[in-house]
Amino acid sequence: MVSKARKPLDLSNLVVWATLGAFFTLVLLPTFYLISYVFLRWNEVRVEVFENPIIGDENWRQILKVLFFSFRLSLSAVAFDLIFGVPLAYILARKSFPGRTLLEDIVTLPLVIPTSGFGFSTLITWTTVAGIGGFLGLNSGLISLNALIPIINVPFILFVVHVALTFPYVVRTLETKFQSIDVTFELASRTLGASSLTTFRNILLPLAIPGVLSGAVLAFARSLGETGATLIVSGVSTTASIAIVRWASEFKLATASFMGSLLVMIAWAIILPVEVYVGQRGRSLKVPYRMPRALHDRLIKFERFASKRLSRIKDVVPLAVVLTTVVIPIIVVLNSVIRYWSADPYTGKVQGGVLYQLFGPSNYFNSLLRATLTSIIVALASTYISMCLAVPLAFIIERRWYGRIIRTILKVPMIIPTSSLGLSVLLLWGPGGFNLAHPGIWLIILTHIVFSVPVIVESIIAAYEGSGLQMYEDSARTLGATPYNAIETVSLPLLKGGVLTGFILSFTRSLGETGATFIVMGRDVTIPALVVNMVEALAISAALFTSTYLIVLSLILLALIRLLTRRR
Amino acid sequence: MSLIKLVNVTKRFGEITALDRINLSIEDGEYVCILGPTGAGKTTLLRIIAGLLDPDEGEVYIEGRPVNGVPPERRNAVYMFQEYALFPHMTVWENVSYGPVIKDWDRDRIDRVTSEILEMVRLAERKDAFPHELSGGMQQRVALARGIASGARILLLDEPLGALDARLRVDLRTQLRSLVKDQGLTAVHVTHDQEEALMIADRVVILREGRIEQVGTPHEIYSEPRSIFVTSFVGGANFVEGNVAEVGDSGSVVELRGGLRIQVSKRGRSIGEKVVVAVRREDVTVGTEKVTGSNNILGMVGSVLFIGGSIEYEVRLENGERISSRILLSDAPKTYRVGERVVVSFPPERCYVFPYPKAGLLKEIEAV
Repeated sequence: MVSKARKPLDLSNLVVWATLGAFFTLVLLPTFYLISYVFLRWNEVRVEVFENPIIGDENWRQILKVLFFSFRLSLSAVAFDLIFGVPLAYILARKSFPGRTLLEDIVTLPLVIPTSGFGFSTLITWTTVAGIGGFLGLNSGLISLNALIPIINVPFILFVVHVALTFPYVVRTLETKFQSIDVTFELASRTLGASSLTTFRNILLPLAIPGVLSGAVLAFARSLGETGATLIVSGVSTTASIAIVRWASEFKLATASFMGSLLVMIAWAIILPVEVYVGQRGRSLKVPYRMPRALHDRLIKFERFASKRLSRIKDVVPLAVVLTTVVIPIIVVLNSVIRYWSADPYTGKVQGGVLYQLFGPSNYFNSLLRATLTSIIVALASTYISMCLAVPLAFIIERRWYGRIIRTILKVPMIIPTSSLGLSVLLLWGPGGFNLAHPGIWLIILTHIVFSVPVIVESIIAAYEGSGLQMYEDSARTLGATPYNAIETVSLPLLKGGVLTGFILSFTRSLGETGATFIVMGRDVTIPALVVNMVEALAISAALFTSTYLIVLSLILLALIRLLTRRR
Repeated sequence: MSLIKLVNVTKRFGEITALDRINLSIEDGEYVCILGPTGAGKTTLLRIIAGLLDPDEGEVYIEGRPVNGVPPERRNAVYMFQEYALFPHMTVWENVSYGPVIKDWDRDRIDRVTSEILEMVRLAERKDAFPHELSGGMQQRVALARGIASGARILLLDEPLGALDARLRVDLRTQLRSLVKDQGLTAVHVTHDQEEALMIADRVVILREGRIEQVGTPHEIYSEPRSIFVTSFVGGANFVEGNVAEVGDSGSVVELRGGLRIQVSKRGRSIGEKVVVAVRREDVTVGTEKVTGSNNILGMVGSVLFIGGSIEYEVRLENGERISSRILLSDAPKTYRVGERVVVSFPPERCYVFPYPKAGLLKEIEAV
């Protein structure tokens, strides 16, 4: 007799279907709607983009120009991240030195800091007299807003912001990867006579290649979708994601959605193969090419020399990168708030001071209070709803045969450019679609759920894997616990760290999100969107204060994460 | 009636057949060891009894009732993992009382049972400690206490001593057995350590590649092994190939390579059949003179190993075969040096004769 197959832990079918249903409606539908929208309204798109009666295919040419620029920016930022991120990740993973955790936190900072605040800090640091320029005794900023970096033809300031915001993805991913590689491989290679650099090239790097790739992919996607900081520092250049925001606000919806779909599809064409490659277990790099003997000997000799003489460079340069891109802007913005507190220190006008702008006629303080309330309600509501969905979803991913597929699909909302996402949600749930909500707080919550669910699921899964949870649950079962008893008394308590980390990550992400929010917020302005508005209204001091406020808020949250993940 | 009964239980994982038509009955109060090399299907068998896995074919009965599809919590069989699976977020007390609490016994009974059992495993003082604060041996006792406290009648022990260091592992064998016996429980204990199995079990089940090779008391398994595999896996032996040359009333004669003839007391083989003769190392003696009534073969000492209380000689016979002999140091009148000429002796009744295996002799021995 063939017995019926029974899963180790039966989640009742009702829970599974309800979860999958909610997952489909709240996460998948908004993610993929944009693409189907373009197909459904192809005529509209064709007329507006390619055959406009007045400007012809000007919109199409704009799209191409913007896309090309965006890719150039993202690729160069990722290349830079890799060059400096690999040694930094290695140091963090292998060395122990005083201040290691502090360094780790500083590297992670751009992940939690709301990007518009961070963008603004970078802006004043490099381009105004309040920043490095003033510090060096100049009467202006160190560099002008639109100064280009030669060869790649990307504005310096935009490049710096994108490097700072994507650097943590490369470093943290690689750090985890390096840590998972047994140090004895390196020791073996060293005792067999290889220098540390040769060991790195021959042993560590090939084993870590999945980490390099997935870090690069995350960084690339992040850079492609970055909106908050980019809106502030872009100057005359336009990246793909801010083009979407602009076109959406000009009601050129067909052009915006066509561009958004293109962005999503191209990003996927690059990312999906990498994900599939990395997803296979035990991947490492094998290069079929063999170097000529003489060249190889010289390389080994160079590596031996470099390992001995140049190892300081590897320690110092990445540190300098982190300092200039992350730490200095934050110090500058904190310092500026103090200097601009009562009046503009350069002109002496009180109108330029923080106090005047906050409490004066424009009364930004009131807007700030409102924005804080909106932001916190949005962050709490979207995180709470996402949590209810993410916990059962994480269990389904671990327990069901189709879990892997769901997990791969979940990568989409993580890498979709946020302004595309905002547009998609607007078209789907907004007045033009199902008319579920008008732009405003509800639509913001619906948008934030889309990217919060994957964030929480990933951190629960990270806690799940390597926890030996199955064994504990099996053990509880044979001791007499029902499946739900086991989840309640054993699994959830053991996953507590992951659940809480997910909660905070999702909360911070929601608090700092700008790109999507900008499109769907209507009159319910969130704090990061307020910073962008202030900068556009040239209320610099108010923007300074709000950025500081955001940075302090996220520092507190970061400290909370530390506290929660450290407790073992 | 047997407490646990498996009828034709088969389990496959993809292409691999982990268990192949297993039939086994375990009596109430019995201590059974499942012994086999890595990958034999021991753990799969244990998980099927626990209800953590379902068989693809066949039936499992517990207390006479078929339990296929019955979830683990309703089988009264507690599974103890090699890593113990003590819940890291609970204290010793909470771990041990987990079963009673989850089964909703009344408060007094929970307290009484838990403290009694903690007393029994000598951990009452550490009841507020967390698992990671305990030594390996203590953790093992907590896991055992937790299983007993849950009121289960069957203990399923997956390498219960495997995570302990060698010395402790040996010390705890007898303790484990007497604890189980005192409580009147039935234990199924999985191990790959033959010494552990022989010492601890009422009955030993030898598992190999998903099939049962032999079931018997430790004494039966050791002295009457039914296959080359069992002989080699439990106790080990010298194996030599030969052909049956004579069959008589009191035994047979086997002709080895090079025309050497040895007497074996086993019968039931036909003349000319290719066979393998196994002689345990401890049944072989080394001396300078022939022993009457034994097989005596001339040879030269090839190597000498001291193993604590005994000496192991490897002797090269005149036909080129090698035979090992293990002699207690106290029984050895003198020690021989490498290169000395000696006589190797072993009695015919201590020779096991098996038909020559189809896959070759090495396959049977090296699978170990």
